[in-house]
Amino acid sequence: MILRKSKLVVVLLAVLVVSLLPFNSVFAAKKVTIRVLNYLDASSPGASREIIEVWQKFEADNPDILVIREDQFNEPFHHKTEAYAAAGKLPEVLYVWPGGRSSTLHEKKLLKDITPFLGDKRNDFIDAALVPQAGGYLAMVPIGLTASHAMYVNTALLEELNLKMPKTYQDLKEMVAPLKAVGKDVIVMGAQDDWVMQSVLYSMIFGRIAGNEKVEQFIAGKAKFTDKVFVDTLKFYEQLFTDGVLSRKVMQTPYGEAPALFAAGKAPFMIDGDWRASAFLTDPTTDQALIAPKDQKKVTITVFPAIPGEVNSRASSIVPAVGYAMSAHVKKGSAEEKAAWRLIEWLNSMEVQKLRLETGAAFPTRKGVTSDRLEPLAQERAEFYGRISGTYVLDDKIAPEVCIPLNVGLQEIGMGLATPEQVAQKVQAAYDGWAKAKK
Amino acid sequence: MKQHLAKKEERRAYLLLVLPAVLLYFAVIAFPMVFSIGMSVSDYSGGQIFGGSVPINYVGFSNYTRMWKDQYFWISLKNNVYIVLISIFGQIPLGFVLAYALHRNQVRRKGFFQTVIYLPSVISSVIVGILWQTIFSPYGPFTELMQYFKPGWENTLLSNPRTAMLPVLLVMLWFYTGTYFIIFLANLQKIDQEVIEAAKIDGASEWQSLRYVILPALSGVIVTSSILAISGSLKSFDLIFGMTAGNPARRTSVLALYMYDTAFRGAPKYPLANAISTFMVAFSFLLIIITKLVEKRFGGREE
Repeated sequence: MILRKSKLVVVLLAVLVVSLLPFNSVFAAKKVTIRVLNYLDASSPGASREIIEVWQKFEADNPDILVIREDQFNEPFHHKTEAYAAAGKLPEVLYVWPGGRSSTLHEKKLLKDITPFLGDKRNDFIDAALVPQAGGYLAMVPIGLTASHAMYVNTALLEELNLKMPKTYQDLKEMVAPLKAVGKDVIVMGAQDDWVMQSVLYSMIFGRIAGNEKVEQFIAGKAKFTDKVFVDTLKFYEQLFTDGVLSRKVMQTPYGEAPALFAAGKAPFMIDGDWRASAFLTDPTTDQALIAPKDQKKVTITVFPAIPGEVNSRASSIVPAVGYAMSAHVKKGSAEEKAAWRLIEWLNSMEVQKLRLETGAAFPTRKGVTSDRLEPLAQERAEFYGRISGTYVLDDKIAPEVCIPLNVGLQEIGMGLATPEQVAQKVQAAYDGWAKAKK
Repeated sequence: MKQHLAKKEERRAYLLLVLPAVLLYFAVIAFPMVFSIGMSVSDYSGGQIFGGSVPINYVGFSNYTRMWKDQYFWISLKNNVYIVLISIFGQIPLGFVLAYALHRNQVRRKGFFQTVIYLPSVISSVIVGILWQTIFSPYGPFTELMQYFKPGWENTLLSNPRTAMLPVLLVMLWFYTGTYFIIFLANLQKIDQEVIEAAKIDGASEWQSLRYVILPALSGVIVTSSILAISGSLKSFDLIFGMTAGNPARRTSVLALYMYDTAFRGAPKYPLANAISTFMVAFSFLLIIITKLVEKRFGGREE
């Protein structure tokens, strides 16, 4: 009797212990865990589709993989990446730039070469997407191509004010007075963060005036930033402020605020990256859009009008955009490596690139990705690429040590705190310091 | 013999009780501080610190020299001094005046004002930063309000280096005054009302009882508040990060942001960032010593 009782107690205890154990640890012991550092603008209209149709779908289709995802946006994302890199705690999968802000990852070889994983599937992508990144090898396949400079034009507002689409800089300059008279700005930009001016405007100016060959000489260190051509580009940039085409207000406008200002008709033009088109599209969770699809046809995406003395006309600064890479610390042949690659493959799949085309998040790098669900502005963005030529995005090509003085210098020129010559000298000094340290 | 044993036992008990705190202090304060100083005189460039493939060399005080020569260091330091000044001569006096007015029943609806004044302190500083960023945006409510009174007014407050810090200082005043208000209110309530009444009976005016009874009684609290204000001001980060991130052109940067940018932005320079943090600690100590000296000279009559 006592024996029976003690057996019962043992059984009850066993049931109790099992019931207290977390469900996952008992039934999901074989799950492979991968950490992901993801870049996501949670306030963008396409964010909910991205979460549901990309991330949640992957988790549903791959029950053997547990994805611990961390979403970050803008500067905090880059700071977090640097902190992880410094601590040697990079997640298994992470969102990276081809150079620029992700230079640390590429140059210190903290990412795996994905060429062996990709195999013949590389033929599914356009050639521009398969150019090795800053580390000298293919660390990721970009999820899209990006034009870091795009000029959004509110054609309805121009019409209403009896103004015509500017073809030259002079045309744009002539709009300053009539627009000011009706209390409008010429161009809205959210350039409070210092990278914005360099990435979405100045890189284009530099490429247009200097020409790609000359820009390549600067990148390779064969030309000096104190050379006349570089100073001239800075002088033209300064002129934008003195002519009133750009207001100093742009440097105290938060990056996220510009699309709403443009949609509200504060100015007929907005300068930003092509990715900003996504801010105007319909948010499926609310069915609301910053610019309703019926009005989106009144918005054109183009490039800055012809600059006096430019040698590279109708150019925008273009870069094979960001993508997902695998951290070099992931053990070769491990379950984590297989899981990470399965996720990266999914993130570059036809299905996901199509979704990103629809939400305006990225222009596909895969061949043959199309959609019949594009809103007018997403369609306009797709057509935009056919109308422009390309030049370099500086922060993708020059080291951060050199780029940061340029970014801050551009703000200083705009605020009247520094001359183009002074900024050029600072950039050259930064370059010399960087080159010396590299030796 | 028995007494000796008891003393020994007592000392052991003390040591045992103190040990966790001492260990914790060394782990989270002393060690990081010494480590940071060590890092500031090295050429560490990321990666594994102990046993890494890249050796870490001693480079003397070159990082301090570099910091000293950087114009953005001086801009950040100047902005920090502004914040220290607004804290000591803005938040503390204002907090005291408001607490005094409420404590002496100078206003009605005491509970309401108490809540309203303290309310900003309970909101997340990053949210407060973003909120005020929108308010002070060139197209925001502040601009619209100003344009209502002065049509055509252009908001270039933040893009003008002379005025760039003004919005930030105003927000800091609004945000942190509530904390000092509560500290003073709590301490005012501790002062024996009979002493104040006695002073009144002896013919002291409101000003005299404030000058000779209340302020001396609060001198310790004022010093403590000043120390809190100094250390809080020097580590100012979250609110400014949310509001301007130090921009435009680093004109609203402060030492903590300058350190953060140096460590994590673009090309990380950890030794330089550690040199900045070491300077911040030293500067903080200096200001606290000055505060203590001022207290010794003018305060210390709480009893």
